[in-house]
Amino acid sequence: MRSLIRLSTIAVLAAVAFAQPAAAAGLKVVTTTEDLASLAREVGGDRITVTALAKGYQDPHFVDPKPSFILEVNRADLLIVVGRELEIGWLPSLITSARNAKVQPGGNGYLDASLTVKILELPSGQITRAMGDVHPQGNPHYWLDPGNGRRMALAIKEKLSQLDPADKATFETRYADFDKRLAVAEKKWDAAMAPYKGTKIVTYHRSWPNFMDRFGLDVMGYVEPKPGIPPSPSHTIELIGEMKAQGVKLIVVEPYFDLKTPQSITNQVGGKVLVLAPSVGGQKEAGDYIQLFEYNVNLIVSSLKQLTGK
Amino acid sequence: MDFAILTFLAAPIVAGLIIAGIHAYLGLHVVERGVIFVDLSLAQIASLGAAIAVFRGADPHDPSIYWMSLIFTLIGAAIFAMIKGQEAHIPQEAIIGISYAVASAAVIITMSKSTGEAEHLKDMLVGNILSVQWPEVWLTGGIYAAIGLFHWIFRKRFLEISQDPKAVAARGISVRFWDFLFYASFGLVVTRSVAIAGVLLVFCYLIVPSVGAMLWAKRIGPRLAIGWVMGLFVSALGMYFSVLFDLPTGATIVCTFGLILVLMALMRPLIVRKAA
Repeated sequence: MRSLIRLSTIAVLAAVAFAQPAAAAGLKVVTTTEDLASLAREVGGDRITVTALAKGYQDPHFVDPKPSFILEVNRADLLIVVGRELEIGWLPSLITSARNAKVQPGGNGYLDASLTVKILELPSGQITRAMGDVHPQGNPHYWLDPGNGRRMALAIKEKLSQLDPADKATFETRYADFDKRLAVAEKKWDAAMAPYKGTKIVTYHRSWPNFMDRFGLDVMGYVEPKPGIPPSPSHTIELIGEMKAQGVKLIVVEPYFDLKTPQSITNQVGGKVLVLAPSVGGQKEAGDYIQLFEYNVNLIVSSLKQLTGK
Repeated sequence: MDFAILTFLAAPIVAGLIIAGIHAYLGLHVVERGVIFVDLSLAQIASLGAAIAVFRGADPHDPSIYWMSLIFTLIGAAIFAMIKGQEAHIPQEAIIGISYAVASAAVIITMSKSTGEAEHLKDMLVGNILSVQWPEVWLTGGIYAAIGLFHWIFRKRFLEISQDPKAVAARGISVRFWDFLFYASFGLVVTRSVAIAGVLLVFCYLIVPSVGAMLWAKRIGPRLAIGWVMGLFVSALGMYFSVLFDLPTGATIVCTFGLILVLMALMRPLIVRKAA
């Protein structure tokens, strides 16, 4: 028991020590994902503290809330969410539990980062059940397009400036700097991806439409028959047939899905399974927003080089 | 530990205590009857009802989902009550296991056919005790109090049937009818609890206190008392660990149940000798 008490004392001291600089800095920003946290850091720098709730290696659809999440949200000045129903399974009740009027949806400290970005797969016209699985608000994995990253950073800059007008100039400068660095990097990525424009690939989940659209790859199918539904035999066989017919060799998988089915498919078609990072922190090398693309683009380019010989 | 968290955990803590209270009692019956996995099975049958409601186009927060899962629970209760009445040489546990497997698989099939919202269905079926809100806690408390009262009024009948169904049947009482009432009320409780706390946690609230109590006591009265104290204590302790080490709450309570059960087993020689 004594050692337990000592252990918990150490834990409390450590927590206090870590929390100290947080108390000293300005706005307390909480984000649902590490991508949003990275963008907020780019803009806010040392004028804000940022905490991400979901880790980059977790599936953002399914996050098991911990007690600390409630405290984080309760003490937040600003809560930034991905939106488009991505966090619908865990965030609404968390926000209710946290009882922080500022960050309730519609509150001044609540920012839905999806409001100013380019959303794909938005159903047009009337949605009927017969259309199959349709995200009524479009595909929520929109941050995987650097253009959207820029739009999100801009929205975050506007919000931070509104909440903390004294530091507006800093936020402007930092945003401009991020914008410039991102533009330089984008040029490099576009050049690297250029030879493979129009290459057809398959992905596991519908996480990548923005990424593939931006870099000119053509997603011709999914390992999942429907989002969230494990692969069925007939769908898998159909997919193998399609991939063979169209000469598709590459399957892109998120780190939290089982590799068995994708691997058995690529064994059939003589292709390759590639695990990419869908979020910042999803792989060690993808430590911030720009590194995330650096990591993914490098992997895709080297795989396609190997598969296509270009 | 940050004590500010306690003000936010009040609703989950109260929910945990309410669930612990009724499940420690129902667990005694379940263990007596030797139908350990009946709650998993009924919960899964209830999930199938919810999945079918979604399949038929219900919104994730539509009340029709609850009613549909309730109807399925009652069907499940009827099945379990019927099977016991037949003198077939099939262990009831086998039927329960089969129902569990088939219901789980049917949920997967239904989800694969349902248009939209399949991604979110899993979240609806597996509750998270950390995110429970006060209105839900009060409603659940009210329903459990009503079911608890019902069981208290007929406590002798239920207990007789759980312990010695043949003797009761010999007196000309319809065991099947009372079994249906038992499984139906039990299913009502389990369906609500699972929506709040998730399958794993509800299973522990049900079974572990009565197993722990069996280690220490023979008679029903003391066993119920031990089960209640254990359920309430572990509930609070698990919550405390979850905050202290910042772990997912439901899983932490489950592991705390395991830990305390082992400790109780180790202490058994001391307790049982004293009692004898």
